[in-house]
Amino acid sequence: MTQLIQTIVLGLLLGGVYALLASGLTLIFGVMDVINVAQGALIILAAFMTWAMWSETGLDPLLGVLVVTPAMFLIGFGIYMATVRWIQGKPPSTSVILTFGLALVIEGVMGMVWTATLHRSTPSYFDESFRIGDIYLRKGQVYGCAIAVGVLAILYVILRVTWLGRAIRAVSANMSSARLVGVNPSTVAALTFAVGVATAGAGGSIASVLYPFLPASHYQWISRLLGIIVLGGMGSLPGAIVGALLLGVAETMTQIYISPQWATMVPWAVILIVLLVRPQGLMGQKLREDVAL
Amino acid sequence: MTAALRFPMRHAGALAVGALLVTILIFPAISDNRYYQTIIILSLLLAIMASGWNIISGFAGYVSLGQTVFLGIGAYTTAILSLRVFGADTFGGDAANPFYFVPISAVVAGLFAGAIGPIIMRTRGHSFVILTIAFLFVMQLIVLNWTELTYGNRGISLPLPTWPREWGNLPFYYIFFGLLLISVAMSWWIRRTKFGMGLIAIREDEDKAAAVGVNTPVYKMLAYVASAIWIGAAGGVYAYYLSFIDPRNMFDIVYSVFVVLAVLLGGRGTIWGPVIGAFILEPVNQITNNNFNDWVPGGIWDANVRLIFFGTVLVLVVLCLPRGIIPSIGDIVKRRREGGKATEVGARFERKPMRVVERAAEEAAEAPAGPILEVRSAEKRFGGVKAVDGVNLSVERGTITALIGPNGSGKTTLFNLIDGTMPLDRGEIWFDGERIDRIAPYRRAYRGIGRTFQITRLFRRMTVLENVVAPLRSFSWLRLGADAVSGPEAERAYELLEFVGMHRFAEREAGELSFGQGKLVELAQILMLDPKLIMLDEPAGGINPTLIAHMEEMVRELNRQGTSFLIVEHNMPLVLGLCDPVCVLARGRTICEGSPAQVQADPAVLDAYLGEDFALEEKAGVT
Repeated sequence: MTQLIQTIVLGLLLGGVYALLASGLTLIFGVMDVINVAQGALIILAAFMTWAMWSETGLDPLLGVLVVTPAMFLIGFGIYMATVRWIQGKPPSTSVILTFGLALVIEGVMGMVWTATLHRSTPSYFDESFRIGDIYLRKGQVYGCAIAVGVLAILYVILRVTWLGRAIRAVSANMSSARLVGVNPSTVAALTFAVGVATAGAGGSIASVLYPFLPASHYQWISRLLGIIVLGGMGSLPGAIVGALLLGVAETMTQIYISPQWATMVPWAVILIVLLVRPQGLMGQKLREDVAL
Repeated sequence: MTAALRFPMRHAGALAVGALLVTILIFPAISDNRYYQTIIILSLLLAIMASGWNIISGFAGYVSLGQTVFLGIGAYTTAILSLRVFGADTFGGDAANPFYFVPISAVVAGLFAGAIGPIIMRTRGHSFVILTIAFLFVMQLIVLNWTELTYGNRGISLPLPTWPREWGNLPFYYIFFGLLLISVAMSWWIRRTKFGMGLIAIREDEDKAAAVGVNTPVYKMLAYVASAIWIGAAGGVYAYYLSFIDPRNMFDIVYSVFVVLAVLLGGRGTIWGPVIGAFILEPVNQITNNNFNDWVPGGIWDANVRLIFFGTVLVLVVLCLPRGIIPSIGDIVKRRREGGKATEVGARFERKPMRVVERAAEEAAEAPAGPILEVRSAEKRFGGVKAVDGVNLSVERGTITALIGPNGSGKTTLFNLIDGTMPLDRGEIWFDGERIDRIAPYRRAYRGIGRTFQITRLFRRMTVLENVVAPLRSFSWLRLGADAVSGPEAERAYELLEFVGMHRFAEREAGELSFGQGKLVELAQILMLDPKLIMLDEPAGGINPTLIAHMEEMVRELNRQGTSFLIVEHNMPLVLGLCDPVCVLARGRTICEGSPAQVQADPAVLDAYLGEDFALEEKAGVT
């Protein structure tokens, strides 16, 4: 029983971090119909940047969020202006192929700079745990989840309160109408892409404490993120959060009760089942356009 | 593009590939350089992969990023069979000669594709791409974890070739060569058959293809099988060639992307493009791998630089050469040649009377009693909105029935329910004495329902003639292999184009037509189905008055020959002059049905649709 509770709590803590990471991907998809396959590589890039700062200056990796997030915002903006901007309106598969190319480039760059070996940020509290009754919770995981929830809350406020947030929601609901009322969709798309990549920055810093990583780990991350947004319903932010929590729990359960080897299968299995059984996911909407166009 | 313009380009591609293939064939006789042999072998493999991918993704438009799954399946089939199942003593020696199992690899890959194809191709666009990636990884993980069968991570070592040493890798070389020839020949054959044209139609507009009688599930499944079998066979040969396989290298996502890049380079949807692309990409890959360390200071050309290099090429190709090398050159040539020529767009058109089709006339004569179409309490919701809310509608034989109503009243949705583009939530639809609401859209086309769209939906990259020939009145396995555009059908199509007055545009690409011309071609297209019922969605919307008059005349002529009509239209003078009865829809319900005079007088109709002004105008006109 204790083990079960421990596993579920651990899954939820991971799920919190996954939620932050998936929110960026689903936000980008909702606004511009682009699946950013490079999101996984950008997470690893953020993790490497965090790790480098921590090992050079001793800056706490979780505080690294404050530096890495704005840096990733700029990188996201640059990537959008240089590449993604030009494929708006092309068939959906184009965005997958393009961003896959970007992922390969980023993977190669990371391999050159940091080599293809396992890294992990290990601050002093790394192997310390909180103990509640019989349940042990690693401090890194607890802090990481707390920060992720904080960043998500900020993101939520941005989307609800600011002009940018309203513009993002307007464009994602109906691009041409948004244009008619004076919202410039390409500015909004650029900012959305940058915000989406910035969330990968924040999440990547946290992830550098949670898991060891190397440049090729991005496949594992993108599989998780795709699993989450497919499960939650592509383009739905609440869906991404629910999907992340479910996937976090499913992954830890598989790890503990079946075997770690099969845990990597969980996201892919989720994708297969959801897309075949309920393609709109848990909270996605089935629109008229999906049925016939 | 006219046929005359298309041929030289096609010849250029064929010529280039022909020269390439002859060079490959005789190369071992000229040189025994093993290094170049290796490059050619790997290029042949990539070319086989690329032309397989091209069938499902280039012709049918379903982009797969997991095509290497079939290479892995083929490789593991051959490896497992030769080592474990028919191991020692079956064919003598320690293990059976892997070549025996290559055909089985092809069959297994084909069966696998046939089994998963129909399941994953129920999704489109993003979802399909993600599913193909997911299947690749799932298969990799299964092979990795099912160690009893596959040895998992440790991989499988295959026996070394038993032929004389001096033959080297030549048997592999020529077997790959043969597989590529078969693969390209199959692509070429597919492209010129009804099957191939159906795949292109699916790529251009899948729902429309189904509406004109293309059996889309069978087409897609066959395309997926066709794209998998030769890759499966190549996988078996590749396993033997490498003499060691492991899950990570056999089910490699990066190689899948490499295949996509090869086709994008050469030209998606063309027959020769994938081959040319592969023979550009793989040599570059090998030469940079082996020589760049000498060229780049510091010798840093490693796996990382490769990732950066090919990632960049992929990004650049998607951004700058989205259609590939061959089609881009084709575009330039075409622009040059057509530069000074006046187009026929906007030319005055003339039409000819149509020969009465025997089937339609006969059947009209001996038709059973009862309405041709009957919709009974049909319901359709989108989320919380009830777009169609209990509609009852019947179209009597030989009538021209109008369906009118304000925007958003559910007219087009009702059309979509009748032709099967959307499934019905509740209710029944009967056509010609048969219940049809549970059968596939293409079967409804076979029964005799033809439908046009409000915004015309032609297959834009096919010629006008091909568009008109595309519809099918029945499904037969044999017909799949028939020529795409052939004798009597082409004649009939030309005749229909004459009837609508578009015969002079027969060889133009449909995407070049104006909106009104598109409507005429779409009418000719569905006439090819010899429909008993034609449903027109705003035939007069957005076209000029002369054309409206022509449209009206054609509808009357077809109706005289026995075809029934159901017409959605906002042009009231046209509706009231042409149609009887008129059915009025508002908020997803039928609010009135009757003769034009009755409908005009109905207060509910005036309130919901026509408005008080309409009545006043009419009275003013009468008095």
